[in-house]
Amino acid sequence: MLKRNRKNKDYWQFWEAKDVTSAGRFFFLILVIAGVISIVRFFDWWFRPEHVASIPLFVLLSLIIWYGIVRIVVIWINYLGIKKPERIEPEKGLKVAIFTTSSPGEPLSMFDKTLEACANITYPHTTYLLDDTQDARFKAMAKKHGAVWLELVGLPGAKAGKVNKALQMIEEDFVLILDPDHIPFPNFLDEVLGYFKDEKVGFVQVSQAYYNQYRSFTARGAAEQTYTFYGPTMMGMYGFGTSVAIGANCTFRKKALESIGGHGVGLAEDLITAIRLHAAGWKSVFRPVVVSRGLVPEDFGSFCKQQLKWSRGVFEVLFSEWPRLFKNLTGWQRLSYLAISTYYLVGVTTFLYVAIPFLYFWAGWLPANMDFGEFLVKGTPVVLVAVFIYLYVQRWMSHPPTERGLHWRGMILKFATWPVFFLGAMLAVVNAEIPYIPTAKKAVKGLSPYTRPLIFQVILFVLTLAYVIYDRLYVVSEGMLALTSQKVWGMFAFAFVAIIMVAGGIYAAYESRNLEPEEPWAKIDVQKIKTDKNEK
Amino acid sequence: MKSKIKRFAFVSGATLFGIVLVLIFVFLGKQSSGPVSEVLNTLGNKVTDVEHDLLMKSREPVRSKELAWFNKYRNDTVLLRHPDTILLGVFDNNYQKGFDKILKLDKMLKEPLPLIQIYTAWGDKDNEQFPMLYAKAIYDLGSTPMITWEPWLSDFNREEHNLPPVVDPDKNGMAAVARGDYDFYIKAWAADVKTFGHEVFIRLGHEMNDPYRYPWGPQNNKPAQFVAAWRHVVNVFRKMNVRNVLWIWAPQPAYLHYKEYFPGKSYVDWVGVGVLNYGTVAPWSKWWTFKEIFGNFYDRLDTFQKPFMVTEMGSLTVGGNRRTWFKNAFTNLPKKYPHLKAILFFDDTSDNTTLNKSLNWSIVDDSATCKVIHVAIETTWKNRVEPVQNNGKKMVKK
Repeated sequence: MLKRNRKNKDYWQFWEAKDVTSAGRFFFLILVIAGVISIVRFFDWWFRPEHVASIPLFVLLSLIIWYGIVRIVVIWINYLGIKKPERIEPEKGLKVAIFTTSSPGEPLSMFDKTLEACANITYPHTTYLLDDTQDARFKAMAKKHGAVWLELVGLPGAKAGKVNKALQMIEEDFVLILDPDHIPFPNFLDEVLGYFKDEKVGFVQVSQAYYNQYRSFTARGAAEQTYTFYGPTMMGMYGFGTSVAIGANCTFRKKALESIGGHGVGLAEDLITAIRLHAAGWKSVFRPVVVSRGLVPEDFGSFCKQQLKWSRGVFEVLFSEWPRLFKNLTGWQRLSYLAISTYYLVGVTTFLYVAIPFLYFWAGWLPANMDFGEFLVKGTPVVLVAVFIYLYVQRWMSHPPTERGLHWRGMILKFATWPVFFLGAMLAVVNAEIPYIPTAKKAVKGLSPYTRPLIFQVILFVLTLAYVIYDRLYVVSEGMLALTSQKVWGMFAFAFVAIIMVAGGIYAAYESRNLEPEEPWAKIDVQKIKTDKNEK
Repeated sequence: MKSKIKRFAFVSGATLFGIVLVLIFVFLGKQSSGPVSEVLNTLGNKVTDVEHDLLMKSREPVRSKELAWFNKYRNDTVLLRHPDTILLGVFDNNYQKGFDKILKLDKMLKEPLPLIQIYTAWGDKDNEQFPMLYAKAIYDLGSTPMITWEPWLSDFNREEHNLPPVVDPDKNGMAAVARGDYDFYIKAWAADVKTFGHEVFIRLGHEMNDPYRYPWGPQNNKPAQFVAAWRHVVNVFRKMNVRNVLWIWAPQPAYLHYKEYFPGKSYVDWVGVGVLNYGTVAPWSKWWTFKEIFGNFYDRLDTFQKPFMVTEMGSLTVGGNRRTWFKNAFTNLPKKYPHLKAILFFDDTSDNTTLNKSLNWSIVDDSATCKVIHVAIETTWKNRVEPVQNNGKKMVKK
């Protein structure tokens, strides 16, 4: 009998998402239909000629709102395909490699933990340390844990460059590429290798989970942003045959990687690899299990750097991979990669959202004549259903006890990083490079430069408030005052919502400044990781 | 085959439940639409009030200062019933955007207008409730609101208010009003008028004797029913001790039967008349002077022994000379019509209530006409107690 430990909040415990039942899917379909009807009603109300105050601004506002709604609908459709693969016991005697990479500046003690955990993985394998630190202590560390040390210095393409070189040097047929900050559980390979019985399976991805959320607001928010993705979202993508590889914890068939000329190179190397493998006809599997835990950025600056890297990189998929591979992808894969590669347009839409009240105050541009009460009445069902669905699909998270919730920190952090996404999108449009920035492994001191636009936004808000008060005290005609009051202060409320979110981001950055450097892995006892199954 | 049936049942079942879920939302939304929109309305008005209290206190009022002479009148019901001067006023169809055009007309006529008119229909919608926001704004500008209150009865959700189902709610509608069917609405209005707390002119069910215009007219109601409805409305206000209303009874004198619509001296404070010269724009009309539209009926209407208000004054420009029209109307007006105590310009730039086209009655941009009016008042209104400011300086002659 399996122990019922629903309340288990222990990070170091193997965990697996709930099975998908017919009843669960049926109830979900009800919610989606309710949501679609609500959206149709909202649509019918939104696009009315009497709502248009200024045609260009109304078009802009509509694009912002409907871009968001379309994305919500796409994610709902994705959830309709939700599917969890049956566990398959792996054959004995597969030849498996584990790759982990070390680069200059990365803390040695972290590798002590990671390599120890790799050695602990029960399925027979060889661990390789792909090292370019030119630091003898790393070689010694590899030796200590029985890993093969490969010195790979001066290769282009950063991590992917080293992986590709190492691929040519090994005999094994399967490769797990493990981020060095991730501590794998002993049963990692047992959970994934079985799927390779299907000759068409090119890679198996598992969930990403973290163990340093407790460190800061940023860490919690950053982790919250990923929970739904590494559960229901990827399960839906798996159902539609389009689950992707995510930088870490992906196990590849070497033959598959070789068929596309090796691991993809670039800021979004994982996604590039996945789309190429799919285009080459390889299948992918997503298994919603927690079989490793790693680090999430702890300070606001590192988080922004990581987001910038992704937002810039992901657009590369849109511009160079997606059109090129279009004809080789299935319909669902086309939709899925289009949705992923346009995700960071949210930077542009949020920028416009932020700009609208200021355009109103400084230029007098009003986008829409809508009765706020009507907006609430028509919009509330859409929001309610969306929230309900968001909470409902959490049943399929990989580790619900620690991952469930409204994820408000994640939302604040997502909003407050709009300048980063915006920058990423702009860099992509002009095809400008950003240097390869590895995600910081330990908290970095100082107020991040990415907070400057946020502080500017707050200052602009305060100045605008002062200007409007002055204007209404001394300038605005007496005949206009009372009748513009609600509009003006309504717009301020609109701008203030954004300011609250941004203030959350500034708080995260401020908190990051005082973050004590710590090595979160020091406390982890690899030997105590539990691999018994949770109740399904 | 079996799996196909199962799938179909699965999808259609979910669709059914999804629709039910939305219907529940809609139902809840409908149930709460009253209170919710009320709360939102109150919230909106609160915003204006808070700004008014916090910010506007420190702002120097301009117009209300110029209209200081009118304070004596507007805070005194007795004086407003029998004013010793002629009050000017205006309706501007763009008032919802702001009162700037009215302020402009003030300047053109060289005197701020003490009365500002707005129109409100009966019904459930937000803009069919007492226009608190505008009334307050009008008061802040130093004026008094005149509200034309039109008893259209088709804009009520009959089920929600437990009203008996009828094909046409306007048919015998006045009898229903008199019966108290619409008291829920009248009482809410009366309560708002009381909350407003300053004097309000209300022109209820105007042109009730015109068989071709409004649904509260003779095509749907007998005169006695109209009178009963009127008295009922006034009595509801009185029972709630709402005393700050001046009731304007406004027939269309061109239809000679109107006496039977008069609710009685104790129920009426003013008699209103619309004076609009359509010129040759309408097939049924020709260039009629002010005297022809109003003056010829003056003596007959005077038998009601109430002060007169020209609730809508305007002339189009096709078929004659508008400047002359206004000049003739205003010259020696107090002498010709001693009981005419208020005139409201109908400054509607796009009136499409009468004809199939939009008519522009506005004079605000016609500086020649405005000047003619000003000069006529200045030179010929000998009987007018001239509006003076507190310091005794004449207001008109600046």
